Amino acid sequence: MKKSVISGSYVRLGYQKGGQSKEIFQNLHFDLLPGQLTCLLGPNGVGKTTLVKAILGKLPLWDGKLVLQDREISNYSQAELSRQLAVVLTEPVLAGNMTVGQLVSLGRTPYLGWSGYLSVKDKQIVNQAMELTHLIELKDERLSELSDGQRQKAMIARALAQDAPIMILDEPTAHLDLVNRFEIMQLLHGLSRTQDKSILVITHDLDIALETADYLWLLRKGQSLIAGLTEDLILRGKVNELFPSSSIRFNSDRGKMELDRPEVKVEVNGDESQVSWLLNAMKKSGINAATSPIFLEKEPFCIRYEEFEFQSIQEFLAYLY
Amino acid sequence: MLGAGMVLVISFLLNVSLGSVSISISQVFEGLFFGEWSRDSLRQILVNYRLPKALVAILAGLGLSISGLQMQTFFRNPLAGPYVLGISSGAGFGVAILILAGSIFGFASHAVNPWAIAIAGTLGAGLILVLVSLVAWRVKDSMTLLIVGVMFGAAVSAIISVLAYFSGAEALKLYTIWSMGSLGGLGWEQVWMMMGVVLVGLFPVVFSIRAFNALLLGESYASSMGVNTTRLRWWMILSAGLLSGVVTAFCGPVAFVGIAVPHMARIIWKTADHRVLFPASALCGAVLLLLCDALGQLPGSAQSLPINAVTSLIGAPLVIGLVLKRNFSKDF
Repeated sequence: MKKSVISGSYVRLGYQKGGQSKEIFQNLHFDLLPGQLTCLLGPNGVGKTTLVKAILGKLPLWDGKLVLQDREISNYSQAELSRQLAVVLTEPVLAGNMTVGQLVSLGRTPYLGWSGYLSVKDKQIVNQAMELTHLIELKDERLSELSDGQRQKAMIARALAQDAPIMILDEPTAHLDLVNRFEIMQLLHGLSRTQDKSILVITHDLDIALETADYLWLLRKGQSLIAGLTEDLILRGKVNELFPSSSIRFNSDRGKMELDRPEVKVEVNGDESQVSWLLNAMKKSGINAATSPIFLEKEPFCIRYEEFEFQSIQEFLAYLY
Repeated sequence: MLGAGMVLVISFLLNVSLGSVSISISQVFEGLFFGEWSRDSLRQILVNYRLPKALVAILAGLGLSISGLQMQTFFRNPLAGPYVLGISSGAGFGVAILILAGSIFGFASHAVNPWAIAIAGTLGAGLILVLVSLVAWRVKDSMTLLIVGVMFGAAVSAIISVLAYFSGAEALKLYTIWSMGSLGGLGWEQVWMMMGVVLVGLFPVVFSIRAFNALLLGESYASSMGVNTTRLRWWMILSAGLLSGVVTAFCGPVAFVGIAVPHMARIIWKTADHRVLFPASALCGAVLLLLCDALGQLPGSAQSLPINAVTSLIGAPLVIGLVLKRNFSKDF
């Protein structure tokens, strides 16, 4: 296994406000692996953003060690850190008057002199970043004219232009529709491979994280961090530990979240996917049992129950009520 | 940018040629470049009165615009300007102490010359600057700094009101006239002095262009790109303080230029890049003040309007138009 680019050991973090101090977590261990897409998942308020702040050197550790490429993060200057780490944050960017090209050029800031003059090489890197994110046609569009998905891609392009081996993104898929969410994550996964970037994504999007992430970090309140290959964590049932309340759980067979509802006790015969959707609908309606077996038929779809035939699940449920 | 430079030259000539005695532009040319004057009185007017005034207009327009642009970007607030950090109020405070308190307590009854006013204004601006810097040193958040600046301004205005309430009619009039602003009445020594301070104030700007560009994305992004935002904040306070402090001290508070001109530059040049915006704002500011001053001369008459009234008359509709027509948060 390759050496990790960021590693934390015995990390303890918290905030100090006035005379009070509030510990967020302690005894955290983690390793960010090179050239891989890692997703950090956890409930709100568990300290994901706090952890990222510490990695960015903005928050002093209370305890433990945070090492970036063989050197403790606290020993890096801001300028040195900016060549190792590029970020995409949640805070909105207000500069609507800026073009995509100008925004991506800002990524070169750590390498420029005080005048902000871009050399030929800088411009090449900026163009390459826009090509990798498929933004080259939008080069001269103003940020205020872009869609949310395009703007997020532009922010990713800016981070790429910063030419740092590590990228950290704080909820890059928030506020985006399903297609854009997949596109962004797919893009990031591609970048981790083709550009050899080590990418850490903080997200709430379990479905998409499972689909695209190579590794997962699961952070839970007051407990240690679970890290591992995504599929390993699924098979070992670790993903379920994200949900301390018993009302939601992760169905590892279907690869998605489910509300923990009572099982429907009924015999259903038919195509596997049809059966599961029918049971889903029955669970939602609170119908837990049916007296006789149900038969499902494909093309045309119909439900046979007792001596009746139903054309849709809706009709069927109405009958059972 | 070249076109704007031409406009500046034309405004300059226009400004110099207009006034109670009209001097044609060709006469100005001949006089300035070949030393040929048709009458000696024209030379007197031009060299001792109009040239310094035009230079002061350029310096004031440039200084206020550049300090306004810095504050707008730094605070990411389209309505920030030299008034916002309390700097203009601070200069007003210094002058109020000199003129108003002077008349109340009798330490400066009649001997109020421009140097004394300038020194008092500079000291006042400097005082507020030091206070704001102390706050800046303690708070990390630029919004908090903005609010504190506005509060300092409010508190200082209150003190000025109290002083005005107790002072005599003579002093009150003197202070009121100062607070209306004036570009004229300064001798060459004061012009050189002003130019020197403005140059010193521009110095930090030149070295902060890259940082100001990065700051367009916000403080967190800027620092993630290796920009030292704390150092930039000190540079900004120093530069904006010097620029707007010296202008207010010599010319009185000049309204709207600091707020409106950076927006004009953004709209005309359609960019957010500070490599363009700084020189563009400087040019626009200089042109605007030259034209406002020419307009305030009421060409052909011996009367002239206070510069603050003219800039406000032009600036207020401009800012209202900007607010109504354009979405600030999108265009900023």
